Amino acid sequence: MNAGFRSQVAAVVERDLRRERRRGDVVWVTIPFGAMALFLLPLAIGVDTQLLQRIGPGMYWVVVMLFGVLVSVGRASIETGAQRDAVSLLGLDPAAAYVGRSMSAAGLLLVYEIVVGVVAVVLYNIEVIGFPWLVLTLVITAVGLGLLGSLAASLVSSSSAGSALVPLLVAPLSVPLLLGATQVYEGLRLGRSILPWMLLMVVVMLVTAIVGVGTARPLQET
Amino acid sequence: MPSEIRSRSWPWVAIGVSVAVALSLAIVSPADTVQGELVRIMYVHVPAAWLAYLAFTVTLVGSGGYLVTRRLSWDRVAASSAEIGVYFTGLAIGLGMIWAKPTWGVWWTWDARLTLTAVMFFVYVGYLALRNTADDSRVRAGRSAVLGILGAALIPLVHFSVVWWRTLHQPASLLRPDGPAIEDPLILWALLAGVVAFTVIYVALMVKRIELHQVADSIRDFERSADRPVAGASVTAPQLGGGLGDE
Repeated sequence: MNAGFRSQVAAVVERDLRRERRRGDVVWVTIPFGAMALFLLPLAIGVDTQLLQRIGPGMYWVVVMLFGVLVSVGRASIETGAQRDAVSLLGLDPAAAYVGRSMSAAGLLLVYEIVVGVVAVVLYNIEVIGFPWLVLTLVITAVGLGLLGSLAASLVSSSSAGSALVPLLVAPLSVPLLLGATQVYEGLRLGRSILPWMLLMVVVMLVTAIVGVGTARPLQET
Repeated sequence: MPSEIRSRSWPWVAIGVSVAVALSLAIVSPADTVQGELVRIMYVHVPAAWLAYLAFTVTLVGSGGYLVTRRLSWDRVAASSAEIGVYFTGLAIGLGMIWAKPTWGVWWTWDARLTLTAVMFFVYVGYLALRNTADDSRVRAGRSAVLGILGAALIPLVHFSVVWWRTLHQPASLLRPDGPAIEDPLILWALLAGVVAFTVIYVALMVKRIELHQVADSIRDFERSADRPVAGASVTAPQLGGGLGDE
């Protein structure tokens, strides 16, 4: 990664984070929405505290995956064709733009995961075990979802269905991440090996990154 | 018989013959000692699942072909194959559910093979939905090609899920390194005939779908060009008048 590429990535991350500071989509919409979902779920399945403690981690990851997609949905609905044209005329490397968008999305998703995670621990009385591994899982999931979401947002940008299509594209592809994240917690709880699940998540993350970077230019040309 | 009629009727003849053979073998093959008559569902379920793999692999090839050559003919191959693949994946899932209820006692279970097949189905439903969002043929082709490549990562996952994870779904019966696991030759032949018949159906449907995509693209391009101003339309011819002789 050369200095030019790095500075372009940094510029895109800075732009996205500044936009989030101005609009507050994640802080004021996605995080409260995720917390509300965790609050509502027990009302539908019963308030057996032992059952909730058992299924709480799984519920948390489902909420992270489904509502975390909103970060990318917001991005797809904000960027107009004119903005994209202006950015490409400035000579921004499409791969750098993809990496920058994914990194900023991953950062925002990590904040979302931490806040909603605290809500899940409080509401479902979840036991926090294997702290360093859980942190690593949170980071890998945030990066993986950020990469997938940014790729989906690039695919639907300036199309008629636009942001409505992003969840349909991201949700099935994020299943390995969901499986990996839930099984890491189960493995830590039961004292099993978590390495295969970590490996699965890392492979998904890398494959998405390679496809995203490799197709950034063809996608910009469309 | 004129050559045009002959070329139009070959797909139907091929389908008719292969389906007739497959159906005959499916009827005359014996009932399974464990599954009983339910085994006959497998004569459609297994070929449908095979066709899903084949179709999505062709979508991968078509998507890659488009990104490399930028020829829309590759995109038509990818799109046609994905449409057929989605249909046959749905068929495989539906028939599997009908088989599972009397065998496992449930319509659905979160088995690795079943879950990943459903995920693959939704990925390609998303692929088809993505194609509907762009009017321009090249924009549509470029975007869907990316998803066509990414989605193909699920094909080996689905196939090897029964090997990599402990699943309720039985392991592969035909595509095994040590040969088919079916002992009764008639059951094996019935399955193979089903696979051949479905492959013939796939080829015939592909030919028709590619033709339809070609026509649809031509109509779309014509409609778009009709709305577009022709070259030089913005230039108005100089108005003559006010010459010397008019005064």
